[in-house]
Amino acid sequence: MLISSPLKPMLVLVLASLVAGFLSVSIGSSAIGIEDTLRVLAGSGSELQQTLILDLRLPRTLSAFATGGLLAVAGALMQVLLRNPLADPYVLGLSGGAAVGALLAMLAGAAGYLVSGSAFAGAMLATLLVFGLAHGSGSWTPSRLLLTGVVVAAGWGAVITLILSMTPASRLPGMLYWLMGDLSHATTAWPGLVILVLVCLLVFPLGRALNVLARGSLQAAALGVSVRPLEWLIYLMASLLTATAVTMAGAVGFVGLVVPHMLRLALGNDQRLILPACALAGGTLLVLADTLARVVIAPEQLPVGVITALIGVPTFLYLLYRSR
Amino acid sequence: MRHLGLAALFVLVLPASLSAQAGGPCARDALGHEVCLADPARRVVSLSPGATELLFSAGAGGKVVAVSAWSDYPAEAVQLPQVGDSSRLDLEAIVSMAPDLVVAWVDGNSRSQLERLSELGVSVFWLAPRAFDDIATAVEALALLTGSPAVGEARAESFRKEIATLEDRFAGARPVRVFYQIWDQPLMTVNQEELISKAITLCGGTNVFGQLPRLVPRVSREAVLEANPEAIVTAGSAENEGWLAAWRQFPGLVAAAAGNLFLEPPDLLARPTLRMAEGARHLCQTLEQARANL
Repeated sequence: MLISSPLKPMLVLVLASLVAGFLSVSIGSSAIGIEDTLRVLAGSGSELQQTLILDLRLPRTLSAFATGGLLAVAGALMQVLLRNPLADPYVLGLSGGAAVGALLAMLAGAAGYLVSGSAFAGAMLATLLVFGLAHGSGSWTPSRLLLTGVVVAAGWGAVITLILSMTPASRLPGMLYWLMGDLSHATTAWPGLVILVLVCLLVFPLGRALNVLARGSLQAAALGVSVRPLEWLIYLMASLLTATAVTMAGAVGFVGLVVPHMLRLALGNDQRLILPACALAGGTLLVLADTLARVVIAPEQLPVGVITALIGVPTFLYLLYRSR
Repeated sequence: MRHLGLAALFVLVLPASLSAQAGGPCARDALGHEVCLADPARRVVSLSPGATELLFSAGAGGKVVAVSAWSDYPAEAVQLPQVGDSSRLDLEAIVSMAPDLVVAWVDGNSRSQLERLSELGVSVFWLAPRAFDDIATAVEALALLTGSPAVGEARAESFRKEIATLEDRFAGARPVRVFYQIWDQPLMTVNQEELISKAITLCGGTNVFGQLPRLVPRVSREAVLEANPEAIVTAGSAENEGWLAAWRQFPGLVAAAAGNLFLEPPDLLARPTLRMAEGARHLCQTLEQARANL
């Protein structure tokens, strides 16, 4: 019983993510039936169907899954780190730094890897900036980190607005879609998936310490957890996860804030369970949202960030209402 | 009391506008306003790159005193003072130019901002070319308002003739299914209302996304593969070659297999101006090439 009770939700989530993944590769602006999808996945089917499913939809589905998983785990870690339920992966200005990097690259006319590379560099710069400023010389507290991050994020926001207002109109749509979060330029999912799995494996042995830390740093210190190194480790891991996600898909909102809360409402607050569950549920949510974004007004496309918020908000409110 | 005031205003205004109609040039703009000037305009401010180009085509280049940002054609326009980006105009700069005519663009300029200009007594002429003939009409109207109607008529006439020649020549040509890519990330195209699409039709092509409701729809790669166009065309400098090269990874795509991935010269089709005739001529040759490759 002790073993099976945490395993059951995980099994459900694995199943859900497989179903979502299958849906996502079988639905698109061109109609391919479920039978044909299965045939293509088994290695046959027409050339066009193979191209559509294997070259276009599958990489995008995997990217969506990786992005969602990365953001949800990063959000859960941030909420533990800052002991603040409103924390999300972007609260410390990481997406702002990434956005400034990406937009500057787009403004210079770059595309593809140059944009994602400078997004990653921007995210890492933002991380180091907040780390350095919050570290400072004085004492360190989560609220100091939070305030530093929020103010730095506001600064990034101003720079983003400045870049947008100086950009010629023809380059604006690409930039706006990037800011809204969009998976159309996600080409390869493997770095994201690898980092997601690595971090989940790394975090698992820390689960007990995280559980204690979530109750407050004093209690954690009293129970023998070395708080400061643990907190910086969490911060660095969450930053790496977020930077990877933002590099793949731009600033997809909402997943990182809401998925951890949803899971806590449903599963309780054991980080050993919540963190891997976040990876699966966040991935599943984003795969479903991206599928909708591709087909709602097909063949036209919506940015996935719109859909995550549109389906996330009512779902979260419902869970919150029910849990009372 | 208010009615009396209004009536008084009419009495004052009516003779004035009549006399303007009698003396100076009048033309109807794209919003349906009759714009009348007491004398042909001598100081003109252009609020979009397209308007700048049309003014120079209308023989009014020497009368343009200021332009919006990105007005890069013809070369003389680059030297002129700028009054801001077309979507973010500097009203103060416009007014201080003391223009007797401002040429605005329906799709680019802010209506509310320019209403302030009208309230200050500046004549605003709105352009919104949606068809080839609108371009010719705009040149005629701008030439009339700036006092060189003969130039405008001649230029408009030769433009109309060029378009009509292309139309005659390609009316019976075998239709080519075209995907016109205007941006890569996000992937964007045009629908049939856009002039580029009308140029494709002129050349005997069919826009595969012509039926979509929005002027500049964003589409998925998947939709392009399913539509399977016989030619993929984009415009721009050599850096956009990469956009086309990306289609070669799909050998099932007719356009890629036939080698029908074309880069058109930049700018010619981008703005609804007289240069569209040249752009359309080039596009027609390109589609002829596409037919030969199929």
